[in-house]
Amino acid sequence: MEAPPCRQLGELQPEQERSSSPVVGLSLCDSAPLLWRIQDLKAVRSSGLVGALLGALPRTPRQNIRLGRPLLLLPEEERLLRERHSAAALPARNQDAVGTELQQRYEEEEQRSYEEQSILALEDRRSALLRAMTSSSGSESGVGSDEALQGRLLALGQSFTFPRSALAVQLSTARAGLSHCQEARAFLQVDWPIREQDSPRREARYQVFRDLRGRGFFLTSAGKFGGDFLVYPGDPLRFHAHFIAVCLTLDESICMLDVLCVARLGSNVKKTVLLCSPAPDGPVHYTSLQWSGMV
Amino acid sequence: MSGASDGAEGSAEKAAPANWILQHPTYQQMQQLQVEDSEQIYTAFLVYMDLTEVRRWKEVSCVRSPELQVVLLEAREKDGAPAHTVLPLPVHRRLSHRSVRHVLDRGLPMLLCAVASDSTLVYQRMTDGLVTPDPPVGPFEDLGRRQHRKRRQQR
Repeated sequence: MEAPPCRQLGELQPEQERSSSPVVGLSLCDSAPLLWRIQDLKAVRSSGLVGALLGALPRTPRQNIRLGRPLLLLPEEERLLRERHSAAALPARNQDAVGTELQQRYEEEEQRSYEEQSILALEDRRSALLRAMTSSSGSESGVGSDEALQGRLLALGQSFTFPRSALAVQLSTARAGLSHCQEARAFLQVDWPIREQDSPRREARYQVFRDLRGRGFFLTSAGKFGGDFLVYPGDPLRFHAHFIAVCLTLDESICMLDVLCVARLGSNVKKTVLLCSPAPDGPVHYTSLQWSGMV
Repeated sequence: MSGASDGAEGSAEKAAPANWILQHPTYQQMQQLQVEDSEQIYTAFLVYMDLTEVRRWKEVSCVRSPELQVVLLEAREKDGAPAHTVLPLPVHRRLSHRSVRHVLDRGLPMLLCAVASDSTLVYQRMTDGLVTPDPPVGPFEDLGRRQHRKRRQQR
């Protein structure tokens, strides 16, 4: 009697995990975790992770307000996804084969398109010829004109060639990945920002990120505000940030001037500064820093 | 800044400043708290003077923090107001989050007071937990596009 319920439970759990968090494919450019596929971006946003879009949109270049794919994940976001088994690195493609592979594919597609367009062009010419012949000899009908028409159509079919120069070529503006563009990939490899050398601080950042995300906040990087994270009560597209989170370990000492600096900045931009430190036994301690109002 | 009055008094006579502070009963009381840090005692005294003479806070008392080895002040803004813990520190000092948590563990709302070498004081409120900031104050006007505004002004 007891065995079946246990088995059912065991069967249920993996199904639930699978349905709640689809696995996204990370394209690792050196160590930068990038997401290229639209379904991955949607999945990640719906699970509360924001990331940062990096790419230029082909129709609106030369501006930084609206950017396109790829989405760059914060190191904390990548780690959270990996821990939940919701992310895996996409297999790296062989660099040498890719160029020729793409070229071959392009040439095959162009040939296919050429054949299709030739057929359509021939159809066009035939119908034009038909129209011309029937309109010019509209009143006349009879076997003779029909035969002449058939003859001319046959001749057209035999002699018609679709010139290559008239081929309409489709340029695809949506591409996934940088596999075709070696220089851009090399650039990303070289300029990836230096990871923090400090691993206690990095661990503290991750613990704080996980705790705040668990409480339902959305977090983005806070480079513009001198902190570690900007904490939003909901999706950043709908809300202003409430907090600037500064992550530190409990025992590291910070200069009073830095505390005053970040507190003053926070009050200028109407955000509360949060000093966040994970305790060794689990919970994260938060201290809110506010202007006292005492002039 | 509130430290200005102290500074003016101090610079008037070169010999007097150290003496009068050393003879002040509250300063002597702080010294007896067995805190080895004389710079911090002096800082605490400046904050004491600011709270009592300038801001006229009530029931200002000093107490030793065993974990931090510093002098803390306890005071109320008015009679009946909740008591605050004030942590006075020189501005070039370093501070750890753990020390802040020790002071917060006293259970009273906490004020951190940073004192500069010219006696300027700044108070920062520190609270446990996530305190949502005050929302922006209305009334709110929909500004629309700048062009519309310009056109309206031109008419």
